[in-house]
Amino acid sequence: MVVGELAEPVDLLVVGGGPGGYVAALRAAQLGRDVLLVERAGGSAGLGGSCLHVGCIPSKALIELADSAHHARAMAVAGLAVEGLQVDLARFQAFKGDIVGSLAAGIAGLCARQGIRVVAGELRFNRPDRAAVRTPDGQVRFFEFRQAIVATGSRPAVLPALPVDGERVLDSTGALALDAVPRSVAVVGAGYIGLELGTALAKLGAHVTIVEALDRVLPTFDPALSRPVERCLERLGVPLRLGARAAGLDGDDLVVEDAAGEARVSAEKVIIAVGRVPNTDELGLERAGVAIGGDGLVPVDAARRATPRIAAVGDVVAGPALAHKASAEGVVAAEALSGHPAAFDPTAIPAIVFCDPEVATTGLSEGEARAAGLQVDVGTFPLAASGRAATLLAREGFVRVVAERGADRIVGVQIVGAHASELISEGTLAVEMMASPEDLAGTIHPHPTLSEGLAEAVELLLGRPVHVSA
Amino acid sequence: MAGEMEFRLPDVGEGIDAGEIVAWHVAEGDDVREDQPLADVQTDKAVVAIPCPTSGTVTRLGARVGESVAVGAVLAVFAPAGAKTGEGAGEGPPVAEAPAAKGSPGPAEPARAAASADAMAPVGAAGNGAPPASVPAPRPLASPAVRKLAREAGVALADVAGSGPGGRIVRADVEAAGGGTTAAQPAAAPTPALPASPAGEDRVIALRGVRRSIARTLTHAWQTIPHVIDFREVDATQLVRARRALKERARRAGDERLAAALTITPLIVKIAVHALRRHPYVNASIDLEREEIVLRGAYNLGIATAAPDGLVVPVVHGAEAKTVAEIALEVADLSAAAREQRLAPEQLAGGTFTVNNYGGLGIWLGTPIIKPPEVANLGVGRLQDRPVAVDGEVVVRPIIALAVSGDHRILDGHTLGAFVSDVVELMEDPYLLLQDAR
Repeated sequence: MVVGELAEPVDLLVVGGGPGGYVAALRAAQLGRDVLLVERAGGSAGLGGSCLHVGCIPSKALIELADSAHHARAMAVAGLAVEGLQVDLARFQAFKGDIVGSLAAGIAGLCARQGIRVVAGELRFNRPDRAAVRTPDGQVRFFEFRQAIVATGSRPAVLPALPVDGERVLDSTGALALDAVPRSVAVVGAGYIGLELGTALAKLGAHVTIVEALDRVLPTFDPALSRPVERCLERLGVPLRLGARAAGLDGDDLVVEDAAGEARVSAEKVIIAVGRVPNTDELGLERAGVAIGGDGLVPVDAARRATPRIAAVGDVVAGPALAHKASAEGVVAAEALSGHPAAFDPTAIPAIVFCDPEVATTGLSEGEARAAGLQVDVGTFPLAASGRAATLLAREGFVRVVAERGADRIVGVQIVGAHASELISEGTLAVEMMASPEDLAGTIHPHPTLSEGLAEAVELLLGRPVHVSA
Repeated sequence: MAGEMEFRLPDVGEGIDAGEIVAWHVAEGDDVREDQPLADVQTDKAVVAIPCPTSGTVTRLGARVGESVAVGAVLAVFAPAGAKTGEGAGEGPPVAEAPAAKGSPGPAEPARAAASADAMAPVGAAGNGAPPASVPAPRPLASPAVRKLAREAGVALADVAGSGPGGRIVRADVEAAGGGTTAAQPAAAPTPALPASPAGEDRVIALRGVRRSIARTLTHAWQTIPHVIDFREVDATQLVRARRALKERARRAGDERLAAALTITPLIVKIAVHALRRHPYVNASIDLEREEIVLRGAYNLGIATAAPDGLVVPVVHGAEAKTVAEIALEVADLSAAAREQRLAPEQLAGGTFTVNNYGGLGIWLGTPIIKPPEVANLGVGRLQDRPVAVDGEVVVRPIIALAVSGDHRILDGHTLGAFVSDVVELMEDPYLLLQDAR
């Protein structure tokens, strides 16, 4: 008898320890389920997923460092003198490691207290009720599960012309692990990851060029949101190569092709940020009876179930590849598989880009609302008219509120400006609560804050602004 | 639109000509699968779950919750799968969502572009700057908390009229639309549990479904039938012995299901049928319009049963031809079906007489209300040890109090009394059943 082939029984198997998986595991444990969580990278190295280890958290640490340096210099106009400002990325890596380590330990502690068993290893399904896990020491363990939640996330997409080598050509993971600021950087892709990394490295002193195939940065956002960001990049001295394709490397340069022909961009490092690919291809999902679409995503129902016993959440299912969306789905999947009526039915999923100025959206943009056949009213408040923004040296940007006229409800909010990431949640609450514009107008916003911009935008929408001319 | 399919309210049971929509399980614009629940329709006293007849998109619902739909009238219109319309397809299952999402191939930027599009897109919308491929259907004006309540209660928000500001659907609207009465009720709860409300605040619950049906029937019964009630105390010593003997026998035969089903009720049903055969005017109905009394040929005994959303009276049909064991199993099946709200309309129709054993609720003596067009209702109280006088001595005996209501228009005190006397005699000496045994 081969011991390894004896399947260990599992009540609920969670595959992946990211924001989708670990939240699903914790919710299921709260509901009395006996949970086994399999994480490829193991407990402290893996719990928290890409978000904690190579995504949201490390990138925000880097952006905070870059913004501090940038803001200190910008404050010269206000009388701040900074001589010999230095950036030590090696020191930063230790700082970042401490943050990530303590947060991962926190998740491990939560799981331990809820009685969740965490197993390190790569999992493959081999039956609708069975999976094999290859552990880091090379052993294989078999698990026979009653139900499972697939939360394996996504990985950076690659460009065949520019394979990531971890030295010269980096993906976002490599970019966040830099221990020195490169002299020159070419960022391929002006989506949110490319913009965040490019902006931060530029503020830290690198000569950054951004190469984007489409005709503007953040090409999939409302065009009005791109412009303040493009103006800021110009001021940072970041050339934009729009409508251009990264063709390959040539010596110290990145070769870029556009309608005008071929050009060269000096690039000590090249960062590829062209999207993410769902991790569904090496899981043996087909043997578990789970279909995978042509886009690599797992089709699921409102309760996130792909089959009666297997659910899928986060980047492996349709919708934005965002941590908060994955966590919300994880809760739904855990509840639904535990017999509770649960469905993933948000009205809005907020999305944030930590570029400069920050971009945050929730619900429908004006264009989307009109395309959906809604009669809309729109109010846009320029932050140039905000007192608080002036003191922050952050007068670039605006707050826009979109309301559906007939239903008298706010359907979307877009913010470009400092701290947009923190401001957007009031908008999401308004959209989810189906708030009337009058609800926001009748809510006193504290002065002096950026949050006043939301109330001002609503007053504009209602045609009775106080602090700007209608 | 070409290819649409009208689904008409099917004849869900004998003698039903219309049904009331209690809840929709789908909304207009939903993509549905064949056999997925479509609606709960209230007929007579049962709520019938009607499944979707086809896979496709719901383009129109024929009625709102609370409205009545005639048999043969359009209940819902479907665009079969493959003939999906552009509009209103937004809230479909995620299977159809965002085909342009992450990782699609293409030159230079495509994958990121698609993923960022997702990042900003509202739920259900596809990205890439193009008009959203699936436009979100108009969402009901309801906050997340109200949506959760509706989901748990099985209420389709699309069918709920909001009473909040600007037509917003608030908690009370969902509760009024049947929240808490239609789905996922604990089987044993005899009354719908009302969510706690702030102290001192009135809460308005719409009268719908089974509760409205009960209210109408009982108002009619109490206002039109002059009730006369015959109260008796019965020495149940022999009846208890007979029941125990039958139960033991079932257990010895290994029939635990029958043993569990052998309560006092099937014995009383059998006894009532015997007495009814001797007193045909008690197994009768009255038709004042035609000025007729109908002596019923069948002995269909209704068993008053507490169900999650109110009292129901499933019927043991042809009880005269059934053994006590058969009746016991049937009563057990019927009450389980009542608790699980899956009684078919025909299981609720055709009663000629009602037995109401309220002893289980702890009631000693009741005042049963007659269920029209029947003319009598036999109420059975709780079996209790009581001191009684036997041959001049006070002894303790198991006593059951009967309260038998009769329609005084048909049954005089002495006709009803004669029937009740026979019931009492058979309960006190069950072996007398032998005299009529065939």
